[in-house]
Amino acid sequence: MSHLNTELERLKEDTIEMWSLVISQLERAKLAIENFDDNLVNEIGANEKRVDAFELKLDMDCENILALFNPVANDLRFVLSVLKINYNLERIGDYAKGISRCIKQTKEPFSDEVLRETHIISMFEVALDMLKCTLESFENETNQQAITVFSKDEYLDQINREANKAISDIIKKDIDKAEDTLQLLSFIRKLERVGDQTQNIAEEIVFYLEAKVLKHKKNKTL
Amino acid sequence: MSKLKVEARDFNLYYGDFQALKNINFQAEPNTITAFIGPSGCGKSTFLRSFNRMNDLIVGVRTTGETTIDGVNVYDKSINVDELRKQVGMVFQKPNPFPKSIFENVAYGLRVNGVKDKTFIEEKVVSSLKQAALWEEVKDKLKKSALAISGGQQQRLCIARALAISPSIILMDEPASALDPISTAKIEDLVYELKKDYTIIIVTHNMQQAGRVSDRTAFFYMGDLVECDDTTTIFTNPKNIQTQNYITGRFG
Repeated sequence: MSHLNTELERLKEDTIEMWSLVISQLERAKLAIENFDDNLVNEIGANEKRVDAFELKLDMDCENILALFNPVANDLRFVLSVLKINYNLERIGDYAKGISRCIKQTKEPFSDEVLRETHIISMFEVALDMLKCTLESFENETNQQAITVFSKDEYLDQINREANKAISDIIKKDIDKAEDTLQLLSFIRKLERVGDQTQNIAEEIVFYLEAKVLKHKKNKTL
Repeated sequence: MSKLKVEARDFNLYYGDFQALKNINFQAEPNTITAFIGPSGCGKSTFLRSFNRMNDLIVGVRTTGETTIDGVNVYDKSINVDELRKQVGMVFQKPNPFPKSIFENVAYGLRVNGVKDKTFIEEKVVSSLKQAALWEEVKDKLKKSALAISGGQQQRLCIARALAISPSIILMDEPASALDPISTAKIEDLVYELKKDYTIIIVTHNMQQAGRVSDRTAFFYMGDLVECDDTTTIFTNPKNIQTQNYITGRFG
């Protein structure tokens, strides 16, 4: 294997590791809401530093490969994609951390009924599924899984659009818990952003594999 | 599409029994720079030398098909090869100045073509040296031997020598491969400047150089022209897997 190949392989492995870490952060956030678990919240805080460290390392590795190996064609597209995916993953890590902060400020656990009405858990599930699909695509270097996220993201957008009404209905029912209920709105907004960031990641994977630019296109078909 | 400056149509070239170029079809528009890339022995230099019929000097060379300049087949029987080479200047890998003064090197082409007007020759030498970005460095030592200047300066002198006879095409066969990075950068800047007045074809083993200087890049492999496209396309999204493997260093 050439020196460049070794470096690219290492970059890929590190990106996958960061991806898995970010997925686990989001899974912890979901569990922390479901179980109102303070330990999980603390774990997210501790792991956030690892996510940040990964971001810096991947940035530096990309910079070094560009400077030292002058990659071209698919190699160049790979490094450029990793640079952007890295940024998107870090932002998703930030959203997980943001959610954990909101949980910390919440006084009481959310009831199953409230979680169901706000679709928070299903939003988490869809967002996690999207992230896992993109990771699978990146690992296997195939588009199929990545492009499924474009339609999945519509579900997150829809819940986000209907969130104001859903949350205000819950507040009206139990005005004493208004402050806690407002945290749910914050979760929804953040999960919607996770969906957008994951879409960006899918676009980068398509750019790497197909040299096609889907960014800013309404029709995301290849 | 503007009129083509250079074109090859179903061009084949044989060294005896060996076919060095296979059915090449190629086009270059005026005032463009085309880079030829490919592993050693792929035919890129042979193809370059077809445009000024330098291959004629090799025993056993045979061609079929056409290479044209301004629509005229350079292999046509009516072509005067000396006239052709006035139109198509060439710069080689190693600087090859004549063992004469700097001035006489540039004036040489004019003199052998029978130009006697001293003022014209002087003006042409100065303008060629200026065009080759060498004037400021040699203006005070025009009578000194061309062999006394640096390799990078010698190569620019060879370019000035080629420019002096007013060609419309310049062929460059790895013009910077024997030079240090500073001299290489000067040659590359010069090539870029010369594009305004000339059509340039450059053979290079340096991928980054091809990327930096050329508008179009042609990849050759085992006598085939595998792919020719805009340089940005070749270096970001080549269509052919052989091209991709070559430019990414996976074979060749």
